[in-house]
Amino acid sequence: MFDFLLLTHEIQLLRALGNMSQTSEPSADAAVTEVSQTETKQSTAGKKQNKKKVEEVVEEEEEEYVVEKVLDRRVVKGKVEYLLKWKGFSDEDNTWEPEENLDCPDLIAEFLQSQKTAESGGKRRAESDGDGKETKKRKDEPEKLRGFARGLDPERIIGATDSSGELMFLMKWKNSDEADLVPAKEANVKCPQVVISFYEERLTWHSYPTEEEEKKDDKN
Amino acid sequence: MPTENLSDKRMSKFKNKGKEPMKMRDRRIAESVELRKAHRVESILKKRNLSSFGDEEPLSPEYNTDNAQVISATIQEIVANVNGDCPEKQRQGCQAARKLLSRERNPPLKEIVEAGLLTRFVEFLGRHDDPTLQFEAAWSLTNVASGTSWHTQQVVEHGAVPAFIALLASPMLNISEQAVWALGNIAGDGSSYRDALIDCGVIPALLARLTPDAPVGYLRNLTWTLSNLCRNKNPFPRFSAVQQMLPSIIQLLHHGDKSILSDACWAISYLTDGPNERIDVVIKTGILSRLVELLGFEELAVVTPALRSIGNIVSGSDLQTQAAIDAGVLSALPQLMRHPKSSVQKEAAWAVSNIAAGPCQQIQQLITCGLLAPLVDLLRNGDFKTQREAVWAVTNYTSGGTVDQVVHLVKCGALEAILNLLQVKDTKTVLVILDAINNIFLAAEKLGEVDKLCLLVEEVGGLDRIEFLQNHENNAVYQAAQALIEKYFSEDGEDQCLTTEATDENFVFGASEVQKRFDF
Repeated sequence: MFDFLLLTHEIQLLRALGNMSQTSEPSADAAVTEVSQTETKQSTAGKKQNKKKVEEVVEEEEEEYVVEKVLDRRVVKGKVEYLLKWKGFSDEDNTWEPEENLDCPDLIAEFLQSQKTAESGGKRRAESDGDGKETKKRKDEPEKLRGFARGLDPERIIGATDSSGELMFLMKWKNSDEADLVPAKEANVKCPQVVISFYEERLTWHSYPTEEEEKKDDKN
Repeated sequence: MPTENLSDKRMSKFKNKGKEPMKMRDRRIAESVELRKAHRVESILKKRNLSSFGDEEPLSPEYNTDNAQVISATIQEIVANVNGDCPEKQRQGCQAARKLLSRERNPPLKEIVEAGLLTRFVEFLGRHDDPTLQFEAAWSLTNVASGTSWHTQQVVEHGAVPAFIALLASPMLNISEQAVWALGNIAGDGSSYRDALIDCGVIPALLARLTPDAPVGYLRNLTWTLSNLCRNKNPFPRFSAVQQMLPSIIQLLHHGDKSILSDACWAISYLTDGPNERIDVVIKTGILSRLVELLGFEELAVVTPALRSIGNIVSGSDLQTQAAIDAGVLSALPQLMRHPKSSVQKEAAWAVSNIAAGPCQQIQQLITCGLLAPLVDLLRNGDFKTQREAVWAVTNYTSGGTVDQVVHLVKCGALEAILNLLQVKDTKTVLVILDAINNIFLAAEKLGEVDKLCLLVEEVGGLDRIEFLQNHENNAVYQAAQALIEKYFSEDGEDQCLTTEATDENFVFGASEVQKRFDF
C-alpha cells in the first residue's frame, strides 16, 4: 500500500514542532499556531513544556488538544495528511491534519509501523485484484413491465375479460411465451387488425327461426 | 497451326468452354471459398459492431451512422416532450429516454446528457404528484449514473443527490428502490462521492428503509448500496459512518437470501481491507463466527467475499488472527483448499500463509487442525497463483516455527514440493523458496542434521536446481543460491555441524536410502 522508502524520508522531514496548540475545537480548518522548527521547548497557552510526548501532555490542562492516536493517512493535492483521534473527544471529531502541522512523530511512527508489519515481516495484505463486485449497475431489465410497455409486437389476442370493470384482452406477443392483459382501448388503437381478427374469429351469425333453414350454431 | 492456337487462346477466355474439367472444378471451389469467406467476414464485422462496450461510444462508424440519426431524432422528440408542460407528454418523453438508456446495446448515455435532459429529469424527481414520472426519471438517471465517472459526475452536478436521498422515503416502493440503486451507483464511483453522500445524510435515510417487511428485491439493492458506501480507500470511509452501518450489515449477514449475503460479505471485506484499527471495528461486532459459517456455504458468491474477509482479518495482528482461529476458521480452511474453484484455493492458501506468519502457537494450531497435508497438496497440484501463496505459507512457517514444527513440515513433503517449484519463471517466488530452504537448513543446524538434509535435497533433485540457479539472471537469486551452496553443499564445509548424536530419534532428516521411515 505505501511506498515505505518514501515514508521514511517523510518521517525525517517531519519538523520537530512543539505540541499542537489550538485555541478552537479541532476541525479541518483549525488554525494551528505556527512554531519555530528548531525549538524544543514550546509555550502553549502560556505554559512551558519540556517534552512533546503525548503521555506528558496528559498531565497538562484541558484546553490543549492532544492527539491520542493516528488512524489513517492520505495524500491530498500532493500533501500528506493524517487522520487523528483526539484525546477526550469521540471518533465523530476525528480530523485530518496536514503532516507539517503535527508534532506527534511517535504516534505517526506507530501508525506507520502497524502498516509496515502488515505488509512485510510475515503478514501480507490482500492484492486488490479482482474485487469481484461491480461498482455500478445499469438497470436494463424492463422488470414488471406489462402489456404494450414491454415493447413487443402483438401476435394475436387469445382471450378477453372485463372482470376488472374494463374490457381487457389477453395478448400473445411475438417472440414471447408470456401473454398478458392489455386494455381493449389501447389495443384498438395500437393493433386494430389484431383486434378485428379476434372478433371475427368469434363471430356467430344468428338467424331467426322464421327464416329459412339455418345452420346449427357451433361457434361459441 | 497458328489459327488453331489463336482460337484456342480465345476459347480459353470463355467461361466454360475449352477448359479442363479439373481446372474448372478448382476454380469453382476457389470461388465458393471466397464467397464463404466474404460472408463470414461480413457477419463477424456485423457482430463486432454490435458487441456491447457498455456505455461507451460505439466503435464502428458504420454502426454509428446507421442508428445515430434514429437516436438523435428520438432524443429530439424526447426533449420536446420533456420540456413542454403536458404531463402525459412528459411521461412519454421520460419513458422513451428510459427505454433508450436501458436497451441492451450501446445505450446513448452521452447523447442524453448532451441533449440537456438531466436538468428536467432531476426536476421530475421532485414531482410527487406524478409517481410514474418520478419513477421514469429516477430510472433514467440511474442508468446515466451507471456509466463512467464523467457520466456519474453529470448526474451529481445536476443536483440529483439531495433529490434521490429525499426519494428514499417515498411511500412508493419502486421509486424508493430506484433511488437506492441510483445512490449505489453514485457511491460506487469512488471515495469522493461516497463521502459526499455520507455528508448528505444518506446512511440514516437508507437504514430507515431496512425493515423486516421489506421485499427481498428491495433489500438486495439496499445491501449493494450499503456495500458501496463501505468501499474504496484513500481515504477509507470515516469511522462514524462505518459504526452507523455495521449493525445493519451484521443483520443482513443473517438473512436467508444469497445475494444479500454475498453483498453484505463484500461490505465486510471492504471494511476489513485496511489497517488493524479497521479490522478491530469489525471483529468487535462479534461477526467472526458467522463469517466462518458462511465459508461453508455452497454458493461461490457467498464464499468468495467471506473468505476474502477472513483473509483480511488474519493479515492483521496476532490477536486478531487468534480471534479468527478461535471462531473456528481452521476447521473451515481444509475444504476450501480443496475447493473446485482455483481462486478459492488461492485465497485459502493466502489466509494460511498469514496464519503461518504468526507465533509458533498459531503454527501449532495449523498442525493440529490438519492444514499441512492440504497445503502440500496445493504445492504439488495447485495452479500457479495458488502455489505461490502456498510457498509463502511454507516460508512464513519455517521462519516462525520451532525446530520440531519445521521438521514436521518437512516430513509432510513440503520441502520436496518447494524444491520442485524452483524452476518457475517468477523470480519473487524463487527467492521466497530459497528463503524457506535456508530456514529449514537453520533448523537442521540446530539438530546437527545438516548432512542428512543435504542428502535429502540432493536425492529429490533439489541440489541440481539450486546449482542451476547460480546462473540466474537476477542478482538476488543467484546470490541466494550461491550462498546456500557455499554454506551447506561445498566440499570444504567448514560451517557444517558434523557432530551428531547418532541415535534413532535424531535422524529426523534421514534420506530414504538410510531410513525408509520417512516417505517423501
